[in-house]
Amino acid sequence: MERSATSPSALTGAVKGNGDAVFAAIVRCSAALILLGLGGMVAVMAWGARGAFARFGPGFVFDKAWNPVTQHFGAAAPMFGTVITALLAILLAVPLAFGIAVWLTEIASARIAGVIGTLIQLLAAVPSIIFGMWGFAVLVPFMAHYVEPLASHTLGRVPGIGTLFRGAPYGTGFLTGGMILAVMITPFICAVMRDVFLSMPAVLKESAYGLGMTRWEVVRRIILPWSRSSVVGGVMLGLGRALGETMAITFVIGNANHIGWSLFSPGNTIASLIALEFPESAVGSLKFSSLMAAGFLLMLISLGTLVCSRLLLRTKAAGR
Amino acid sequence: MTTHTTTAAAQAAPCAGARWQGNSVSDIRRRMVDRVATALCWAATALVLLMLFSILFVLVRNGVGGLRWVTFVHVTQPPGQGGGLANAIVGSLIQTGLAVLIGAPVGLLVGIYLAEFTATDGRLINFVRFVSDLLLSAPSILVGLFIYMIVVVPSGHFSGLAGALALSMLVVPVVVRTTEDMLRLVPLAMREAAIALGAPRWRMILFVCLRAAREGVATGILLALARVSGETAPLLFTSLGNMNWSIAPGRPMASLPVTIYQYAGAAYADWTALAWTGALLITAGILMINITVRLGLGRNRK
Amino acid sequence: MTVAQNDAAPAAISVRNLDFYYGAHHALKDISIDFPQGQVTGMIGPSGCGKSTLLRVLNRMYDLYPGQRATGEVIFDGCNIIGPKVNLNVLRSRVGMVFQKPTPFPMSIYDNIAFGVRLHERLDRAAMDARVEDVLRRVALWPEVRDRLRDSAAALSGGQQQRLCIARTIATRPEVVLLDEPTSALDPVSTARIEELLDELKADFTIAIVTHNLQQAARCADQVAFFYMGEVVEVDSADRMFTTPREKRTQDYITGRFG
Repeated sequence: MERSATSPSALTGAVKGNGDAVFAAIVRCSAALILLGLGGMVAVMAWGARGAFARFGPGFVFDKAWNPVTQHFGAAAPMFGTVITALLAILLAVPLAFGIAVWLTEIASARIAGVIGTLIQLLAAVPSIIFGMWGFAVLVPFMAHYVEPLASHTLGRVPGIGTLFRGAPYGTGFLTGGMILAVMITPFICAVMRDVFLSMPAVLKESAYGLGMTRWEVVRRIILPWSRSSVVGGVMLGLGRALGETMAITFVIGNANHIGWSLFSPGNTIASLIALEFPESAVGSLKFSSLMAAGFLLMLISLGTLVCSRLLLRTKAAGR
Repeated sequence: MTTHTTTAAAQAAPCAGARWQGNSVSDIRRRMVDRVATALCWAATALVLLMLFSILFVLVRNGVGGLRWVTFVHVTQPPGQGGGLANAIVGSLIQTGLAVLIGAPVGLLVGIYLAEFTATDGRLINFVRFVSDLLLSAPSILVGLFIYMIVVVPSGHFSGLAGALALSMLVVPVVVRTTEDMLRLVPLAMREAAIALGAPRWRMILFVCLRAAREGVATGILLALARVSGETAPLLFTSLGNMNWSIAPGRPMASLPVTIYQYAGAAYADWTALAWTGALLITAGILMINITVRLGLGRNRK
Repeated sequence: MTVAQNDAAPAAISVRNLDFYYGAHHALKDISIDFPQGQVTGMIGPSGCGKSTLLRVLNRMYDLYPGQRATGEVIFDGCNIIGPKVNLNVLRSRVGMVFQKPTPFPMSIYDNIAFGVRLHERLDRAAMDARVEDVLRRVALWPEVRDRLRDSAAALSGGQQQRLCIARTIATRPEVVLLDEPTSALDPVSTARIEELLDELKADFTIAIVTHNLQQAARCADQVAFFYMGEVVEVDSADRMFTTPREKRTQDYITGRFG
């Protein structure tokens, strides 16, 4: 069989064309774009915020005021709202997600779990603005008419924690915001938990059942310890999402720059503040810069959370 | 305490004869705890499903009335004058389409980088993957601010293109994720077979590996499309919205999510009705993409 | 140990004093062996003895993995192919390889074959069609696939896929074909067909085949090399190797005392 004359057959010599080098360069440039994207976001926020930080200094972070009339701005109230709603969301979402993950992996048959698991994941695909509208149309009236009056008449009378449940039943506020966020992030946390639970070697579970442990004991004493760091990572991932969420919360938070211990009182979050006030602020104004500064703080908070989450999830993946 | 009872039960069970289940106080307590925990798991699942159905129900109840011909062919109008969502629907299609056109190739290339260049760029790759994962869950409103600062301010005006750019920043990390995962599933033997034929690496990657992973990669792009088509926050300060018909990417452009946002909070009944119809449309579209993708994946796994 | 200068056939590839390392692990130790032109060289030995490693040196497959390196000489067409400045793509087009498991690419049967050809040659449509038909005939796959050349190669059976992979390899017209346990994933009938095929192919190609199956080596190979712990213990004609091995270790292995 002869080699055709057109085919290159010299073993030595430069590779014809330099496809691989060009390709590697293109691919590396794209990767650099990703780094530039995130780095650029942080840098641009910091740059835009310089006016506010120069004017108010570090006190910006702790200042409760947000007054466009006196040109006095501080991020404490929206930061408070951001953290409180996100923590409430986690508090509500983690038990829900955990219960669903256990139900999907330990209780339901594989077939049913497949269908229900898909439905739960569909909830994660629903756009956040839809959650906001649903919250406004369904959850807010429900809270205002039933939950909040009931809670303030019962829990509100308990000394100590009662403070949390007093106040006018507007329906909007921290608790409602936290609840909306909880519904939104439950599927995310649940997906992480479910994946870890499923990745657990069956032998471990089977031998535990073999010892006569009940299902709950297996979950509590075998599955949970085994998957702890991933579960925490998943929870942090949910927290990161909750912190940065805008559209769901802006409908139900009440939009008042206010710090208070009543869960029923209206408040604000950084994302919601930006969404509402940014269109009304001129580039270069102090308000504009203050909003950028708030955005910068949000960036730091959520990146910090996400970094923790990824580190936790990664150590587990590496340890496996 | 539980450890004691567990061993006791394990030893006792085979010898217990007719009494299969222990009746000691601790045994009864253990079973009660188990029942309660199981019931709570059922309750959690039911509650979240209820939320899903409640959302869908409300969307359909409030939005189905607006599914009329005018909604699709008329542009948005001032309150009380009827009008539709045509400009918003088309604007959304243009912006998400552009976002995918811009973001998917970048995501694809970065995914290739993460999956195929580990031998040479190991550490850097871990960092890039980390950053991409951060971008995946970064607050989307800040993405909007970022594009506002680097595109809208320098160019002097809001534009559909700026909106598409903001959305594309959300497309990239989704596509990166799925592309990397799918490329890693391509067997080593297939790569070696391509190399053994004398293929340069880039041809091996593009024409063999990517081809083998094409369904998964397409799935990732579809999911990214579904994700950004509902995003509102990144568009608020980039494409702004437009009451009129506008398909020029250099000018402010309407989009469904932003129109919904503006209309939902309005005090005019016809606007809120349109907002619900828009919400129904967008949710139906997104869920349809998701269901199709999941059914497709399920079929391929078998 | 001895390097068998097998009969009259000149060596297509000569390996001289080859050492190979996976990082710190010394996997091949001072190997010297000739692969005579137009003959089938069978490589046998227990798992991990280095026979597959040698195969992966012959087309520089190890270059894909950092930390793997070879020293010594492998002379092919008057050139030391493990030296620097070797155009690997050309080398691999001239020294083809078939793997243990069939590796059809995710494309049509036709494109599987055309993929390799297009890398090295520009053929017009008719010439490509002719090439595809020619190689498919040579691997006796043509009658089975002539009507479904545009179908996905994944739809073929395992034995058909492996024959397709052989066709794909010879379509680039290599001088040497390396086969790494090509039948270990196949049923006996498919195995028999591949073995028949080897016999026909050696008229045009120099063949090196790694196999765990001693009968297969005896049936197919002209020359057999026995590897043990990274060394070539013995190289001889298949007849002599399986009847009167010179080395004790070879004898132990082929009589099934270890491995």
